[in-house]
Amino acid sequence: MGVLRAGLCPGLTQDMVQILRSRGIKTVVDLVSADLEEVAQKCGLSYKALVALRRVLLAQFSAFPFNGADLYEELKTSTAILSTGVGSLDKLLDAGLYTGEVTEIAGAPGSGKTQVCLCVAANVAHGLQQNVLYIDSNGGLTASRILQLLQARTPDEEEQAGALQRIQVVRAFDIFQMLDVLQDLRGAVSQQVRSSSGTLKVVVVDSVAAVVAPLLGGQQREGLALMMQLARELKTLARDLSVAVLPTGCQETVDLGSWGTPAFQGDHKGHWEQSPVFPGDHT
Amino acid sequence: MCSDFHRAESGTELLARLEGRSSLKEIEPHLFADEESPVHGDILEFHGPEGTGKTEMLYHLTARCILPKSEGGLEVEVVFIDTDYHFDMLRLVTVLEHRLSQSSEEIIKRCLGRLFLVYCSSSTQLLLTLCSLEAMLCSHPSVCLLILDSLSAFYWIDRINGGESVNLQESTLKKCSQLLEKLVNEYRLVLFATTQSIMQKTSHPEEGPSCAFNRLSDVDVDYRPYLCKAWQQVVKHRILFSKQNDSKAGNQFSLVSRHLKSNNLKKHFFTIGESGVEFC
Repeated sequence: MGVLRAGLCPGLTQDMVQILRSRGIKTVVDLVSADLEEVAQKCGLSYKALVALRRVLLAQFSAFPFNGADLYEELKTSTAILSTGVGSLDKLLDAGLYTGEVTEIAGAPGSGKTQVCLCVAANVAHGLQQNVLYIDSNGGLTASRILQLLQARTPDEEEQAGALQRIQVVRAFDIFQMLDVLQDLRGAVSQQVRSSSGTLKVVVVDSVAAVVAPLLGGQQREGLALMMQLARELKTLARDLSVAVLPTGCQETVDLGSWGTPAFQGDHKGHWEQSPVFPGDHT
Repeated sequence: MCSDFHRAESGTELLARLEGRSSLKEIEPHLFADEESPVHGDILEFHGPEGTGKTEMLYHLTARCILPKSEGGLEVEVVFIDTDYHFDMLRLVTVLEHRLSQSSEEIIKRCLGRLFLVYCSSSTQLLLTLCSLEAMLCSHPSVCLLILDSLSAFYWIDRINGGESVNLQESTLKKCSQLLEKLVNEYRLVLFATTQSIMQKTSHPEEGPSCAFNRLSDVDVDYRPYLCKAWQQVVKHRILFSKQNDSKAGNQFSLVSRHLKSNNLKKHFFTIGESGVEFC
């Protein structure tokens, strides 16, 4: 979406694109917000053709309004509630992790976030027999620890092996790698690469703070924009693929001290978190 | 002849514009500082940091609009534009269930049938969507309320995309604001838009240079304008939300409603329970 080019939509020929460009109309937004009468007069194009073009572009690029009742029906059929494996955590989350939602686990370093993630991964892979994608960005995941958790659930080695196979681990140590991983995930799902052992239900991102923290601070805006972009990616992923996304973050507010400077990501997390869970909170 | 061509509209469009938009006066008297609000064409901004009840208030207003008249609602249609993928359908359904005297799937579905949801993924998509919303408003004359949650979602991304020029950074939002004003005036709607407080409070008592924030006498939340001037100008009412940290009740919230022209101020307290917002 953006620049007008031939073939972008039916009715938009190369000639039209050239003429419009010579009058300063280069993008879809320019055309849609221009005064079409004036454009028709100046460019010598037919007013009717321009109006039709505007209608087609709007139909193609604007968002489609959904009816609340239809959305509700769809949600009822596609939402699954996944137990985390920890009883009191399930109670806190109102029965468990909801697919289609982003649930953030936040806390100070060393408060147990990675352990909760590993526990969720083990439970979903073994107890619910569904696939998990674990995006590790700070090296906190060790297969031996997951094996330990699985061994505590079942002595059967085949079951343990099966569960381990359902956990796919990807490492991403900076934000661009992480965005790539999420993009690849979408690609894989859209090509319907299905494994025989179940569908992907949980995406754990441990941790988001590790990839975002180096970008923030000072007067740079790029870091914040990238963080908002990552947040948006995670939210749309949860919704589009019907998975539960579980990012972990750092809960610390750093006062940067000058007016007009945005607060550290501790405050920004609120933009995307739907139900933050603090590991210290439950007993 | 050219100017006539501009203003000509079909009979259905005219009727859709003028007839059938019911009054939203009774929607929530607590929110407005003025006695006559809200009137058609009002734009209200909900401003506040995260976790202060803005989206809950939107669910409360939505529920109020879509519930049938027999259950205390206004039975009008609502268009909810979600830019943050923030809308929680299950929460809205819970609020509706608590407010209905006898809730059944049928009634809930009928209420939800009066709600239209639009998800926007970028500010250009928001602009294009607002352009195409006109057609939808013509075909649904009972839409009275437009909700935008939130207007500040694309702020940082826009600032990066605009490069170094502030005008370029703000241009899409400026066009959106103008379009919103036009839609709200022509189709006689009321718009509620939320904006996040993303600028931090300064720790020292003196103000920073060239800041243009409004001082509200007994209010804890400072308002720091960061969205474009065009938006500041179309807002008629600003409602600032904040959370009470020191009260005995754990989850008490407060809002200060301010009518920008007449400068009237009103403060209210509310709590958020299972059934949504409840004013104290």
